[in-house]
Amino acid sequence: MPNWLDVNPRSGVPIYVQLVEQIRHALEVGILRPGDHLPTVRQLAGELTIAPNTIVKAYSELENLGLIESRPGVGTTVTANLNGTLHAQQQSALFERLRGVVRDASHMNISEDDLRARFAAEVERFYHNEHDEG
Amino acid sequence: MAQVTALMEEERLNVTALHPQHDELTPAQYPPLSRSSSPAIEINNLVVSYGKRRAIEGLTLVVPRGSVYGLLGANGAGKTTIIKTLLGFRPPNGGSVRVLGYDVVRQRLEVCARVGYVSEENSLYTYLTIPQICAFCRDTSRQWHQDIVDRYLRLFDLPGNAKIGKLSKGMRMQLALCLALGNDPDLLLLDEPTAGLDPIARHTFLSTLVGDIASEGKTIFFSSHILADVEAVADWVGILRSGRLVLSGELDTLKQTHKLVRVTYAELPPESELDALRALPGVVNVEQEGRSVRLRVRGDADALATSVQERPYALRDVEVVNLNLEHIALAYLMEGRP
Repeated sequence: MPNWLDVNPRSGVPIYVQLVEQIRHALEVGILRPGDHLPTVRQLAGELTIAPNTIVKAYSELENLGLIESRPGVGTTVTANLNGTLHAQQQSALFERLRGVVRDASHMNISEDDLRARFAAEVERFYHNEHDEG
Repeated sequence: MAQVTALMEEERLNVTALHPQHDELTPAQYPPLSRSSSPAIEINNLVVSYGKRRAIEGLTLVVPRGSVYGLLGANGAGKTTIIKTLLGFRPPNGGSVRVLGYDVVRQRLEVCARVGYVSEENSLYTYLTIPQICAFCRDTSRQWHQDIVDRYLRLFDLPGNAKIGKLSKGMRMQLALCLALGNDPDLLLLDEPTAGLDPIARHTFLSTLVGDIASEGKTIFFSSHILADVEAVADWVGILRSGRLVLSGELDTLKQTHKLVRVTYAELPPESELDALRALPGVVNVEQEGRSVRLRVRGDADALATSVQERPYALRDVEVVNLNLEHIALAYLMEGRP
């Protein structure tokens, strides 16, 4: 039983959604890699004490997303390589945050020039102070 | 003598799966293939009365094959009555009940041959040993699979030759489950199976139920007044109140269609605005506390949140909140109460 898998039946998030998200996350951070086997429906049902159909639903959703593949006799294996997608996601989230900062600054009537100066100063301080100290 | 037989009959029904003693049909007469596609349970407009009191009041319920269906309700809501009706112990006063495609009144033996039952009272013969009760069940059953029973006895690690009277409550429940599996049933009916079990016994019991029995494709229908058991193992849920089913559906779907939308206004919203919120599609209830308003929503909560954002009032925040089974169940159980 993978120790990274853990569902909370008390949550308002459907259990199959919890499973899909956790398995996708395991793919993104590289805990699961292409060719790895996922536990059988029976194993997971017993270990997590959840209805087998809930696991079937999660697996078929992951299969529809093209992340895993179930074959009779072989079991369920990982097909997609999401390793690295997390980094890309984090990067786009960061730039999204930057966009938010600019928007908030304009709402607070901070001028464009002031904002640019602040940003440049911050970049300067980080790279140059770091290098000086290092 | 007749009384003794009746007592034996009564007790045996409590103990084991149901083992009709006579074959009323030849094997060739009963494999109608179409039945395998019918729902495991199909109750239509069921009425059951005890004297003048109506225990079940026009109940309609469908349990799909292969599901783990948890019937939740307070004591006295009618859970045991429904299970007894499914077994044909209690003839309906109105409506129809089909189990695995068979009518429970007209085809009772067909139903009994394919259903396993664990009762709440769990009155096993305390003076028998485990092998003795297995032999007893085998002798009174049309089809008995001792290999299946042995497999589950080993799984629960039940002591081989112990007298039933010496077993703990949890062990007796496990034994009753093993015996109920002896006719290799397609459907298992369990009346309050976890009541009174300690945490470890409860966990083992539930884990076996879903990891072994349901994973073999058997349908499980169990009643409980314990919400945590239902939300943990069930994929379908029914909520019973005073003989009526107030809610039934796939648990995941219920969670997706019952949500709360929390709206924070910049200024105190006027009464007319609250009325406008009440009139939005899907809103079942509006609660206000100062600038904060909570909307209970059925259906598409995200769409509702969008239409709230389009209202002509300044908002600080609109948030969609997930509800767990307890929140959803309480709302239905308390609805219409004084």
